[in-house]
Amino acid sequence: MQSAAMVQSAGELGNVAPFWALYRAAHRTNLEAFDEMFDPQGRPRPGYSRVLADFLIAHADRFDEIRTRADRMFLNEGVTFNVYGDSAGAERIFPFDPIPRLIDAQTWSQLEAGLIQRVRALNAFLADVYGEGTILKEGIVPNDLIKTSPQFRRAAAGIIPPHGAYITVAGIDLVRAADGRFHVLEDNVRTPSGVSYVIKNRLVMTRLVPELIRATGARSVEHYPADLLACLCELAPSGKSRPTVALLTPGAYNSAFFEHVFLSQQMGVELVEGRDLVCVDHKLYMKTVDGLRQVDVLYRRIDDDFLDPVVFRPDSMLGVPGLTSVLRAGGAAIANAIGTGVADDKAVYAYTPAMIRYYLGEEPIIPIVETCLLRDPDARRMVLRELDRYVIKPTGASGGYGVVIGPSASDRELAQVRERIERAPADYIAQPVVQISVHPTIAGRGADGGAQIAPRHIDFRPFVLLGARPRVLPGGLTRVALREGSLIVNSSQGGGSKDTWVLSS
Amino acid sequence: MLRRIADHLFWMARYLERAEWRARLADVNYHLLVENPTGEPQSWAPLLAITGDGELFAEYHDAPNEAQVLDFFTFELRNPSSILSCINAARENARSLRHRLSSELWLEINTLYLDSQQWSHAVFEQGVYGFFSELRNRFHRVGGISHATLPRDIEFDFMTVGTMLERAENVSRLLDSKYHYLLPRLEDVGGTVDRMQWAAVLRSASALEAYRRVYGNQIAVEPVVEFLLFDAGFPRSARFCIDELEAALERIGRAAGGSREISDAASPMGRLAAALRAGKAGAVIGSGLHEFLMEVQDLCAGIGSIIFDKYLRFE
Repeated sequence: MQSAAMVQSAGELGNVAPFWALYRAAHRTNLEAFDEMFDPQGRPRPGYSRVLADFLIAHADRFDEIRTRADRMFLNEGVTFNVYGDSAGAERIFPFDPIPRLIDAQTWSQLEAGLIQRVRALNAFLADVYGEGTILKEGIVPNDLIKTSPQFRRAAAGIIPPHGAYITVAGIDLVRAADGRFHVLEDNVRTPSGVSYVIKNRLVMTRLVPELIRATGARSVEHYPADLLACLCELAPSGKSRPTVALLTPGAYNSAFFEHVFLSQQMGVELVEGRDLVCVDHKLYMKTVDGLRQVDVLYRRIDDDFLDPVVFRPDSMLGVPGLTSVLRAGGAAIANAIGTGVADDKAVYAYTPAMIRYYLGEEPIIPIVETCLLRDPDARRMVLRELDRYVIKPTGASGGYGVVIGPSASDRELAQVRERIERAPADYIAQPVVQISVHPTIAGRGADGGAQIAPRHIDFRPFVLLGARPRVLPGGLTRVALREGSLIVNSSQGGGSKDTWVLSS
Repeated sequence: MLRRIADHLFWMARYLERAEWRARLADVNYHLLVENPTGEPQSWAPLLAITGDGELFAEYHDAPNEAQVLDFFTFELRNPSSILSCINAARENARSLRHRLSSELWLEINTLYLDSQQWSHAVFEQGVYGFFSELRNRFHRVGGISHATLPRDIEFDFMTVGTMLERAENVSRLLDSKYHYLLPRLEDVGGTVDRMQWAAVLRSASALEAYRRVYGNQIAVEPVVEFLLFDAGFPRSARFCIDELEAALERIGRAAGGSREISDAASPMGRLAAALRAGKAGAVIGSGLHEFLMEVQDLCAGIGSIIFDKYLRFE
């Protein structure tokens, strides 16, 4: 209400109404979805009135130009990702939508508490399953679900990371349901990516609309690399005061290579590939022009499978032979620890509220989406009866690969997924379709040649650092499904991103 | 510094130098075509002779025409040393070390790369000269940004090593091909075409003005060879390149453990430096310019493999 009053006092409400009418007319689908910018009466939600008046309405004729300038900045600076299965080395920019997504201070403080709570519980769970296993013994999480998970690493048992920090970096995917409440969609506690776009998006917005950012009071996101480095340094064995940290990348063809470059540069640490490293006498070294130099902490952006050909996939050319035994001997530390994937397994997700209660004795602050494990015969029968009402996700995949959205799937796709579920039910979960929120987004050109602004579905990935002191980056990656009606926001599936402004007050 | 990073720096610099040299060659060859006073038909074929791409070209084209030579030389990806292939290779190396480069330098290399991906024969329709002179300017910009924004440290030294080694080899190859291939008939030596060709050689090394400051208007084989091989002050002479190379290698040696063996008198580095510091054009031409130039190229290759063994190789 306050924001509507502000608009009125600035004498601009007269412009909001026609804007709203046009925007509403573009709202062809999902009228019941929560709109991030407008309440159902067309009044801007807290914080948005200035963005609406000073940007959306005042600069409507400049959006094409603004978006072209932004794209050019990303491309020239090489802020790109590689799409797997595309022609070799093809680089694309992550499409950027310049209309910012806002989160007001009050909502944020709730989210922040909920995110820290969640990551602390996931970390405790990892310490437990690779240690005593009490949560399994007590039957709160089924033992066989964990021990048969493809992400469970026997080799991780007995490697106790410094300070018990299994998870240093987490990216938690959230969506806002029709009632306006944030829900956890999935956890990413292996090698979550996207934070470089958070920082780069802000940089681009700072060049495009510096005044608006300041006037709106968006919190800065630039401190993340320094915070990450601090957390990594805390992991150094035997408390070295100036440890050597390195970032391990699979190389220039990895989809997130830009991010690896960016973070290593921002943190001022060496960017290494597996072939740059060697293990000698339970210590880890980099090969430099003047000999070997010891590495204390490795921020790895390589999956477990490829990390150490001695223990995991023997055909991996990306990893470091012997790394696991160096870790076991305490000669070096890595972030995130080996085996964290068992905590973000999509089947384990269903048990996360129970974990929060078990380890922390607290009620979950952010709810999860109701989840059916298809390994359970009753649940399976129920889901298969009305397959077109559910979203089916493979438990072992990420990046939106293999996800089938019932209501929009063809009969053939449904038949295929049914067959796959019947063949390997434990590999799938089902969730009811969440009407995830929408946000005004540039959708193309309107009849007058100007940019047409229409609602598009968005999600949100905030980043949590779990050091001696947990920190949540005040911002995050808002991904937007650029195709009308699409619910899939992954960059590999035609999604784009927006800058996210967490407001300071 | 990581060995891999040293390797990327070395090769990025080498490929940039190679691409730039080729852009200059094309530009100069164009002048030869346009200004040919004899009226004899000339072609782009000398380009292939100088760069040694003739054989590969013949695999794809049996009856070459100018357009094909130009395309092959400029953006044919099946030609690993076309300008486009060199730009791609330089950028691929730069991509893996962009966290070590200044953002300005990365932006310049990446923009050059992105623009070059659009090349087709159409780029020559606006004028061959315009295209190559603009391209040469782009390379100058890369060089200028490197010098203006990179700290002078061991990383810069590895780039210098790559640039200078490539440049020394290219100068030697340029002289060799002019001397032996471009003017097949002995009776033409000293004639108008010969002088024009030597002037073109100087121009392709951006050396014409600097040469004139020393030798005036007289353009002949001996002073040109003297200038391009032995001049101590001109930045594209072989001598200059080798001085820079040696100094960079000494700094690298000190930074990486204090050994100087890479440039002692018996090493390829030491021998090449001695030959270029003591050499005289008259004597070299008298006892065989071709043999001397072959020796220069062999020693350059020897220096390259020592650098590889000592600093770049992964073990």
